[in-house]
Amino acid sequence: MKELLPLLLPLGWRNLWRNPRRTLITLVVVAVGTWSVLIFAALFNALTTGSRDTTLRFLTGHGQLHAAGYLDDPSVSHSMAPPDAALRRALLAPAIAAWTERVRVPAVVQSEYRTRSATLVGVAPQSERALSDLPKEVIEGRYLSGVSDPGVVMGRDLAVRLKTRIGKRVILMAQAADGHLAEVGLTIVGLYAAGKPAEDEFVFTGLDTARSMLGLGARSSEISFAVRDEAALTAVVAELRRAAPTLDVEPWMELAPLVYTIETFGRYYTAVWLLIMFILMAIGLVNTQLMAVFERQREFGLLQALGMRPRHIVLQVVLESALLVGTGVLAGAVLAVAALAPFRRGLDLGFLAPGAEIMGESRILHPALTAVEGLAYGAIIWLLAVAAALWPALSAAQARPAAAMSR
Amino acid sequence: MTAIIECEAVERTYAQGSLTVPALRGIDLAIGRGDFATLAGPSGSGKTTLLSVIGGLDRPTGGEILIDGSPIGAMDSAQLAALRLHKIGFVFQGYSLIPVLSALENVEFILRLLGLPRAERLARARAMLHEVGLSGLEDRRPARLSGGQQQRVAVARALAPRPAIVLADEPTANLDSGNAGELIKLMERLNAASGITFLIATHDTRVIAHARRHIEMTDGRITLDERVSGPAAA
Repeated sequence: MKELLPLLLPLGWRNLWRNPRRTLITLVVVAVGTWSVLIFAALFNALTTGSRDTTLRFLTGHGQLHAAGYLDDPSVSHSMAPPDAALRRALLAPAIAAWTERVRVPAVVQSEYRTRSATLVGVAPQSERALSDLPKEVIEGRYLSGVSDPGVVMGRDLAVRLKTRIGKRVILMAQAADGHLAEVGLTIVGLYAAGKPAEDEFVFTGLDTARSMLGLGARSSEISFAVRDEAALTAVVAELRRAAPTLDVEPWMELAPLVYTIETFGRYYTAVWLLIMFILMAIGLVNTQLMAVFERQREFGLLQALGMRPRHIVLQVVLESALLVGTGVLAGAVLAVAALAPFRRGLDLGFLAPGAEIMGESRILHPALTAVEGLAYGAIIWLLAVAAALWPALSAAQARPAAAMSR
Repeated sequence: MTAIIECEAVERTYAQGSLTVPALRGIDLAIGRGDFATLAGPSGSGKTTLLSVIGGLDRPTGGEILIDGSPIGAMDSAQLAALRLHKIGFVFQGYSLIPVLSALENVEFILRLLGLPRAERLARARAMLHEVGLSGLEDRRPARLSGGQQQRVAVARALAPRPAIVLADEPTANLDSGNAGELIKLMERLNAASGITFLIATHDTRVIAHARRHIEMTDGRITLDERVSGPAAA
């Protein structure tokens, strides 16, 4: 059959333009349908992936280890010893790209004017940079320089609420390991603006600074890690659980269930939207092709009379549909790329900010579609539409030539 | 003379609502190889139906048809299409050209279905268009050709694959006398030169006058079958 393609393809393309109005209407339907699927997928990608990546790249990582009971009561009483040899070996496995220890406890921060609750996080800045985007989100001042840095980096909004600024000292208060209320005065060295408003409630200092304040010695609250390939996450979590049987090891899906649910829901929602758009397009396409076949019954009879086999008639009708839908899909994809291009740097949904905050979303979305996703969606639309042409094609091929030519 | 078309008790009935209409009633016919035969009769006598069943465009409801000794009754649609492609050329009353192809492309179409190499099919298509007097009009689509020119393209298309048989249904019906005369001479010339068997359904007395065998039909039956002049060499 493929030897006839050089004959049937140009013939099919010319046949499409015998009724230019009908062809153009179909092209517009397919292009708009494709455009809507791609735009919707890109926006939903932005919502789900953006939310997910922001969460993972702030503090969560791909997974965390905690002392048993910490997740229910994230206080200093649920701290863990430094990793032993077995755990350290597991953390240095090739599948793990980076890991870091942190102290994370509820605290109170007091400025000259106001007092607020916050979460105190002691970090090791060097290893933190491999896991977190926070160092890049410092908009004023500087990030922490080392584990003993006596400064703090806090959220910009928190600083505004405390009526304080860089260079000012704040008092941090938290329960120490021995039960007494520890307090320490530290200077604000940096302010950050995280992607989500809720992330502005953290106060970061050096890991050893926090340990010293809380009397933790070498202990910490959590170990966060990132994997090289998310497909290996389940195996990595299993290995870490074997290496540290007394600790809780949780993947990000369990640490951030809302984000995980939104991402999963997004995939299904996109699939449902694709199905709805396809059904609508298919109805139009089948109708158009049936009309075209009905109008050309005599011609198909003639082609059989000339010696064209029925399966070649099927091929011709399917090819015409493939050309028509392929052109529409291509046009829709080009329109989608053009529509998304201005938002490469982000789509500011500030006017929806309160609603976005409730959902745990950032107000800046980055709608994007990878080339693979775009090709996949386009290919699915194209293939399903071509399949929809089979019925009219078979109808054209099954008529007896004499009967078809007498119409 | 060996027979290239044989019909044995061929019948074809059509259902029209609750009625059964017999279009062919027990046709027995043998057309010799290289013959130039005309098939005449009033409208509704079954001429077109007979050509259709002989050419495999329709299936008889009774009897047997053999083309070049092979029974076609058991052939499926694909085999019948292959038979038409390789052995039978059709000239239809309404020209029946593919509207989006030029004159050259219409003639070349069948040659492409046959799988001929590009150079050969282009040469053969151009030669056939020259044979029918259409040199210089190869690139015109049917809409830009006159009725006579379109019919000549149809004849060129039917003859380009060098079929053994040409079945023509009222080929001169829509032509003026000049074009009709040219077409008749062309078919005669090709019959004499290439030995192609012609079976032409026609009312046109000018065509009948050139036939070497004349067959008449009435109400689905052959009522006259006479040799007008000696048979052509097989």
